[in-house]
Amino acid sequence: MTNLSTIPDAGAVAKPTASAGAPRESRRVNPLGGVAHLSLFLWALVTVGPLIWVFLASFKTNEEIFLDEPFGLPQSWALNNFGDAWSEAHIGQYFLNSVFVVLISTAGTMLLGSMAAYVLARYRFAGNRFIYYLFVSGLAFPTFMALAPLFGIAQAMNLLDSYFGLILIYIAYSLSFTVFFLEAFFRTLPHEIEEAATVDGAGHMRRFFQVMMPMAKSGLVSIAIFNIVGQWNQYLLPVVVMQSESKYVLTQGIANISVSAGYQAEWGQLFAALTLSILPMILVYAIFQRQIQAGLTSGAVK
Amino acid sequence: MHAVDSRPNPAEAPQAPPPRHVARARNRSQRDSRVAWLLSLPTLVILIAMLAYPLYRMIVLSFQNMRLKELFSGATPPWAGFDQYTKALTDGVFWGVVGRTAAFTVVSVTLSVLLGLGIALLMRRVHARVRIFMMIAMMFVWALPQLVAAQSFRWLTDSDFGVLNYVLTQLGFDYATHSWFVNPWEGWAVITTLVVWAGIPFLAISLSAGLTQVPKELLEAATVDGASPWQALRNITLPILKPLLMIVTTLSVIWNFGLFTQNWALRDGHPEPVYQTLATFSYTQAFGRSNYSYGSAIAVITVLLMLGVMVFYIRQMFKIGEVD
Repeated sequence: MTNLSTIPDAGAVAKPTASAGAPRESRRVNPLGGVAHLSLFLWALVTVGPLIWVFLASFKTNEEIFLDEPFGLPQSWALNNFGDAWSEAHIGQYFLNSVFVVLISTAGTMLLGSMAAYVLARYRFAGNRFIYYLFVSGLAFPTFMALAPLFGIAQAMNLLDSYFGLILIYIAYSLSFTVFFLEAFFRTLPHEIEEAATVDGAGHMRRFFQVMMPMAKSGLVSIAIFNIVGQWNQYLLPVVVMQSESKYVLTQGIANISVSAGYQAEWGQLFAALTLSILPMILVYAIFQRQIQAGLTSGAVK
Repeated sequence: MHAVDSRPNPAEAPQAPPPRHVARARNRSQRDSRVAWLLSLPTLVILIAMLAYPLYRMIVLSFQNMRLKELFSGATPPWAGFDQYTKALTDGVFWGVVGRTAAFTVVSVTLSVLLGLGIALLMRRVHARVRIFMMIAMMFVWALPQLVAAQSFRWLTDSDFGVLNYVLTQLGFDYATHSWFVNPWEGWAVITTLVVWAGIPFLAISLSAGLTQVPKELLEAATVDGASPWQALRNITLPILKPLLMIVTTLSVIWNFGLFTQNWALRDGHPEPVYQTLATFSYTQAFGRSNYSYGSAIAVITVLLMLGVMVFYIRQMFKIGEVD
């Protein structure tokens, strides 16, 4: 178990800067270094190649996409495709819908998931392991199977076409992994500080929010990123719940552009929408950059 | 893993407690128990409503025979017992799908774990800046919605306008209007490439974080003692990495076994029989052919197969817990 938590741990431990790691790296002359760099370069090419292609195509017209060189630069860097996608294909609306839903559902997942993980990791009570395995077995539950019953539940509870319903469902389908991951993480945190807080008279809530949460920050950040990515990517769940076009989320909107219009479609718009869908992840990366990089450089210094 | 707290709390479980303490401890543990249930209650309610109940409905449905008529009239479908299961288990097409899904899972997970591990190991050998650049690139791929990645690959491999054919033609091969999905081997190669390509970032990022836990001193000592890099990897790095490796491998198995979006999107929402996996097969039976109960039975079998993997998974966690 300890090793799973090394992902967040690495971030917690690492305060040293990249400059501290650099000299040590260069001191180690390694014959394999060249091969490593070359292989990584090839992998980087394979990794970002398709992304660059999508990005370039988002500035092109249909003719350019189909007839010109795939990796050629577009004739103009005008944002027409983005503008059209944003307003004509309603990608703007869907984009905002997605942002709204993912923001709230990730926050909800983190709050509920960390509370549950905390008690499962730190409290002895009857049914503890039962609840734990209930969560963990949720990991094996494939989403597509739940679609029809979920539709029924959403209908019965009047949650069709409701953001609240979609958020609840996102939370439910993110909790398994969140609890599983955070439970392991909370377990590795030292008991002493919590005990000291208890002696000082801190209640359960205070202990959780003011003692445990700050200590678990790196673990919480890791799993939050995981959830943001996962929920942003969801396609099947919103298809079930969000039936009217004005309430679509981004993935539905993208599917809509490519499915509905066939060869008549504005492909530039599709690629613009694809590019837009990656943008928030750049933002997320920028926000959590320090935690992510800290996790990386820690290895070099160790 | 059994015990909630591996370290006994001295305040609650003293070695030879005076009676008064015991009473207080019991009191506290009752209060703790209430708080514990209170804190996990909201989570439980959501989980039961959105996950456990659909599962229950699906199991019930798999023992009935629900068709369009019952769907529209709302009447209770007739009870069918194990008919749907018998139908599935005696159907050669179904077993073909099971075999195909299993084969795909084995191949794709093996490839992605090996490549992910390889990249994680290589990243330890390069300069910190290169490493950060790699991480950023991989973050993007990881952050790409499955559907978006699948759409991109559909265009990359398009027979008329795809980049892949263009590049191959430029290299002197005759691939001008080659269709990648006529030959199932080629089609599955495309699907596998997509899944492996999209799966590697998660594996490489997790494993490279795990690698930071391998003590450098140990590796250096091994080198001084004349161990080859391969021996150091086999005897030091891999054993330390094993628990994490088990976990990410099992997760990959669960994810890839449930392959849906990728083959669905690459085949434009109508996968040919040879491109069906258990997930798309179940979905097509239930919603494409309004054979809701048959689709449910297939889904239940899928879950049972997955639970087989999960048992392995939880057992592995028990072992790790004992090492703790």
